[in-house]
Amino acid sequence: MSEVSLDNVTKRFDSTVAVNDVSIDIDDGEVMGIVGPSGCGKTTALRLVAGFETVSEGTVRYDGEDVTHIPPENRNVGLVFQSYALFNNMTVLQNVTFGPKMHDVGKEERRDRACELLELLDIEELADRNPKTLSGGQQQRVGLARALAIEPHILLLDEPMTGLDAKLKQTLRQELGQLLDDLEVTTLYVTHDQEQAMSMCDRIAVMNDGHLEQIGTPSEIYEQPANEFVAGFIGTANLLEVTIEDEQVSFGFTELDAPGPQRVDGTATVMIRPDDVRVGEGPVSVEITNLFYQGEHIQATGLLPDGQKLTLRLDRSLGDVTTGDSLSIAFDPDDIHVIESTR
Amino acid sequence: MATDHVSISTRVSSAARTTVEVLTSPSSERQREIRRIVSLCLPFTVLLLFSGVFPLTEMVRISFSESRLVTEGFTTEFYMTLVTDPYYRNVAFNTLWFAAATTVASIGVAVPVAHALEKYSLPAKSVILTVLSFPNSLPGIVAAFMIIILFGNTGVFTNAVAFISGQSSTDIAFSTGVLGLFFAYIYSMIPRALLLLRGTYAEVNTDAEEAARSLGATPLQTFRFVTLPQIKPGLIGACILVFRTGLAIFGTVLILKGLLVWTLQIDRELAQGFNIAQASAMATVWFVFVFGFTVLVLRYTTAEVSI
Repeated sequence: MSEVSLDNVTKRFDSTVAVNDVSIDIDDGEVMGIVGPSGCGKTTALRLVAGFETVSEGTVRYDGEDVTHIPPENRNVGLVFQSYALFNNMTVLQNVTFGPKMHDVGKEERRDRACELLELLDIEELADRNPKTLSGGQQQRVGLARALAIEPHILLLDEPMTGLDAKLKQTLRQELGQLLDDLEVTTLYVTHDQEQAMSMCDRIAVMNDGHLEQIGTPSEIYEQPANEFVAGFIGTANLLEVTIEDEQVSFGFTELDAPGPQRVDGTATVMIRPDDVRVGEGPVSVEITNLFYQGEHIQATGLLPDGQKLTLRLDRSLGDVTTGDSLSIAFDPDDIHVIESTR
Repeated sequence: MATDHVSISTRVSSAARTTVEVLTSPSSERQREIRRIVSLCLPFTVLLLFSGVFPLTEMVRISFSESRLVTEGFTTEFYMTLVTDPYYRNVAFNTLWFAAATTVASIGVAVPVAHALEKYSLPAKSVILTVLSFPNSLPGIVAAFMIIILFGNTGVFTNAVAFISGQSSTDIAFSTGVLGLFFAYIYSMIPRALLLLRGTYAEVNTDAEEAARSLGATPLQTFRFVTLPQIKPGLIGACILVFRTGLAIFGTVLILKGLLVWTLQIDRELAQGFNIAQASAMATVWFVFVFGFTVLVLRYTTAEVSI
């Protein structure tokens, strides 16, 4: 395994800039996620790492070595696709031994390696089956075994769980997370599903419109989003207009001490996560306008006294709440995050 | 016995009545579907009966006729001639090896072209496609004429080589030889192969190809292990189509005459002495061979011949 980095990489398709001056360093054994909405450039970034797209500007490095112009077959990357992309003219075992065969690994050794991986992924009984006869989850495991069989510099996962049902996705997510931890494989995990990224990745890069918006650990991204886009994309965020003066945050309807020294002075936006809003106590009253039953809790939209909307998470212990009810709320200075960038 | 006869005729007339009822006033969705299918296929069925089945039947009858001018009696003489006469055996051999060779050459050229067309973004792609598909609508005689212009005694290529080598252009010209005919054949056959192969290539799983590359396969290995198995049905379909085209070409061979093949010999049977029975026997053998060959190949593959 190795360190992989994208240094100021830009990719243009004619006049469209798919990836714009992006720099990401992935440490040895780290699981790095790239998240963002459709068309943000995350898959293009992965393809640049794999070598399937040529870099317009910048450098791709493996262990410090410039691989920007090295073809994909010489990069030793394991690629797992959303579409599984298995070779249907081969058995599962042949699929897994294909990579080692291309790397001139001896027949016995590649067979042993494949069997070991199939056992690790709990699909050893499928060795002689045709991939077409397998379920989506089984196919994805075969794809993963095939990618790992070449002992890649980096494992690239391109939306590997899209298309699987929710229950299977949850199971596979836990298993895959554990596997990546155990194998300490340097991994780039591309997904539009922020929950998957949060639970599986050591760090996350958030992309939007070809730009890298923020890179950090899941808690950094969630609790201290760099801008409104990241705050809105990762989880549910309440973004409220405030005025900051003399370390005091004025909401118009209430005032709080600023959460630590602030660089912003004047009008600003603060983010409050719904789960940080205490419901049923406090000086501020909200009028409930919408309720969404979500099983473990109820998500509600409330109107603040100044007319701004606030998303709340209601515990079921609150009893029956209906639209039109007024609820008192409170939040602590430590639970608000001042957004410094407007991007 | 009489009761059986009545019963059969009653059943037939009942079935006919039911069919007419289904077609004129269908009462279920399935019956309406049957009516739509019949309406859609009726023009072709009529055409097939009058232009296909009827002449074919007549042709077979003529081929077994004892008389050369009137269809009467029964003889297998003309078929025996085809089997025993070395002349006809040679014509059959020429036809088969030449169709096979041109098929191999056409497919050999068409596969990389289809690969390039479907895998890469080429400049002026629509112009390239027009040029490549153009020979599909070109009469064989015109194709032959183009070969003469290029490789004939006063052809462009011939003159250029003669100028460079100092040889006589008549020694170099090969338009009316086997090589000239070969080029004329593949000129007509490559676009037909491309037609099928491009369709097949469009369905190739490109993710699987990229997976192979990422696993260390070179482009050639990727083609061999991943792409080729996927295009195999289309490749077989193209081989059938092109081989059949090779067997059927007439206009080109009539002009260039580089090799005596089956279609040219049928023409000679009719033109020289009006030996219609022998020509019919040859045409029947041709039809049975092509039909049998297609059925046999399709039975052992999943290929589809779309033309």
